[in-house]
Amino acid sequence: MNAPPGGGRVAVRLQGVCKVYPGGVQALTDVSLEVREGEFLVVLGLSGSGKSTLLRCINRLVDPTLGRVWIFDDEMTAAEGARLRQLRRQVAMIFQQFNLVKRHSVLTNVLSGSLGRSPLLPSLFLRYPAVEREQALAALARMGLRDRGASRADALSGGQQQRVAVARALVQRPRVILADEPVASLDPALRHSLMRQIEQLSKEEGLTVICSLHDIDLVKRYATRLAALRDGHIVYEGPPGDFDRGTFREIYGTDAEPASNTLV
Amino acid sequence: MAGETGTATTVSHLEKSVARLKALAVDALLLTTAGLMAELLIVAFSGRRGPTGLLLTAEEALDLLHYGWMAAACVVLAFTWNLFSRWIGSSPGRALVRGVPEWEADLPWSRTLRGWFAVLFIELTFFAGWLITEVDLPAFLTKFSKASDIVRGLVHPSMSILHQGVVLLVQTVFLAFMATAFAIPIAFALSFLAARNLTRGSVLARGLYTVVRAGMNFTRAVEPLVWALIFISWVGIGPFAGVLALWIHSVAALTKLYSEQIESIDLGPVEAITATGAGPLQVLRYGVVPQVMPPFLSFTIYRWDINVRMSTIIGFVGGGGIGYILKPRVDLGEWGEVGTLVLLIAITVWLMDIVSAKIRERIV
Repeated sequence: MNAPPGGGRVAVRLQGVCKVYPGGVQALTDVSLEVREGEFLVVLGLSGSGKSTLLRCINRLVDPTLGRVWIFDDEMTAAEGARLRQLRRQVAMIFQQFNLVKRHSVLTNVLSGSLGRSPLLPSLFLRYPAVEREQALAALARMGLRDRGASRADALSGGQQQRVAVARALVQRPRVILADEPVASLDPALRHSLMRQIEQLSKEEGLTVICSLHDIDLVKRYATRLAALRDGHIVYEGPPGDFDRGTFREIYGTDAEPASNTLV
Repeated sequence: MAGETGTATTVSHLEKSVARLKALAVDALLLTTAGLMAELLIVAFSGRRGPTGLLLTAEEALDLLHYGWMAAACVVLAFTWNLFSRWIGSSPGRALVRGVPEWEADLPWSRTLRGWFAVLFIELTFFAGWLITEVDLPAFLTKFSKASDIVRGLVHPSMSILHQGVVLLVQTVFLAFMATAFAIPIAFALSFLAARNLTRGSVLARGLYTVVRAGMNFTRAVEPLVWALIFISWVGIGPFAGVLALWIHSVAALTKLYSEQIESIDLGPVEAITATGAGPLQVLRYGVVPQVMPPFLSFTIYRWDINVRMSTIIGFVGGGGIGYILKPRVDLGEWGEVGTLVLLIAITVWLMDIVSAKIRERIV
C-alpha cells in the first residue's frame, strides 16, 4: 500500500510556493512538496488552511505569487498561453461541487474532458471526433453510467454527478489527478465507493493523485502519504501510519478530537 | 525604517485632510441647498408681485434668490459646524464621508443636530418642489371639463382610421423586432468584454472593459428620441431610422443586462473547463454560455416588448410605425382617431406583455 520509498519519478514538485491574494490574505507560505508517480497523496487541514489554493497552484487555476511548480519535467510556472494549456492537459481536476455544465448532457460533459486536444471549431458546436465519443462512452461505462449519457447533467444525483466528473477527468487522459474535497458534498454512504473508484483508476492507469480530504477514516484507508496544512504552512508530511493523536492536534488545534478511534 | 513610518504617517495625514475637505464640501453643498430652498419659500410667501402684477411664477422666484451670498454664508457655516462638531455633534458631511463617530452612533436622530437638519432638509425639499413645479390642486380637482373632449374622443374611437392603424401597428411590431434582432449579436459579443469577472486577466482586458462600459453608458444616456433624430437625417424619414434608433439603444441596454448576468455566474464550471486545458473560446462556450442562455433569452424578449412601446414615441418624430400617424391626429385634435390608435397600442403592449411573461416563465 505504501509508496515505494524513493521509487518512481517525481510527478509533481512544488518549490517554495507562496500565494498572497489581492487584499493581503496569505494563503500559502513557502510550500515545498514532492509527489512521486503513482502516489496517492492526501492533503489534510482545516477549511481555510490553504488546501484548495495548493491544488489550484499546481494546475495554475491560481497563479502562485512566488515559487515554482513542475509536472514531471515541465515547469508549470514558466508556461503561458498555449504551452500552459498543453501542460494542463496532463492534470485533471475533480471538485467538491462537481462543477459540471448543468444544462449540457452527461455525454457532452464527459467529452469536455477532451477539449484540450479536440479541434476548436467543431468543439464550439459541441461536436467531437468519433474516437472521442467512443472513449467518453467507455469512460461512462467504467463509472457505471453507461445508459445515462443523454440525460441532462443536473438530472443526476450528487453521487452520479461526481462520477460524471471523474469520467470527464478520465477522458482527459491525465497523468495526475487533483481532487479538491471530492466527497465532501456526497452522502457518507457514497464516500467510500467514490474514493474506491478514484483509487482503482489511479492504480489501473498509473495515475498520481493529490486529494484533499476532511474525513480521517478515508485518509487512513486511501492515502499512501499525507501532507497536512495549517495556516498555509506544511506542518506534517509522511506516511499515514505515523500520523497519531498528537499530530492530529497539531493540525486541527487542541480543541479538536478525532471522530473515531482509528487513529490511536 | 524610520523613513517608511514617516511616509505612512504623511499618507494617512493627507488622506485625513482630503476626507475633511470632502466633508466640508458636502456640508457646504447641503447647507446652501437648504438655505436657497428656505429663501425660495420666503420669497414666494412674501406676497411680492412680478413685473406683470401677478404673483411670482416659479421661474421668477428662482431668479430672485441670492445664490452667491447664500453659498458664501453656507461655506462659513459649514466650516463652523465642522470646527465645533465636538460640542454640537458631527455634521451631515462628516457622517457621510467619514462615518458616524462612535460616541454618536447610538443616539436616536432626534438627539442630534444632524438628525434635525435631515428632517428640515426633506421638508424643505418637498415644499420647494411644490412651488417649483407649480402644483395646482384646485385646477386638478375642478377643471376636468376642459379635458372632457379628449376623454370622450378616447372612449369613442373612430373606425375610419382602424385599417391604417392596424397596418402601421404591424410595422411597429416588426420595427421593434428588427431593432432587437440586430442588437442581439453585437450585445452578445460586447457583454463578455463588459463583465468584470471575465476581464480581470490582463491590462488589455481591463482597458476594453472600461471602454465598453463607458460607451454603453453614454449610448444609454442619450434618449432614443435623439438617436431617432440623428438617424432620420442619416437614412431619411421612415421605419428604418426608427429601427436604427431603437437598435443602438437596445445594444447598450442588452449589453448591460447580459454582462450583469455573466457577472453573477457560478465560476465552478469555468474552473473545471479551464483545468482540462481548453482555450479561452472553449471556456466561454462551455463554462459561461450555458449558464447565461436562459436569462439572455428572457432579457431579449423583454427588450422587444420595451421596443414596441418605445417605437410609438420614435414614430412621433418620423421614425415610422404607428406613432407616425398618431402625432398629426393629436396636433389636429382628432380625438376619436387618437382614441383608436391609443387603444390599438394598448392592446398590443398588453398582449406582448402577457406573451413575453409566459415565455420568460417557461425559459427560466
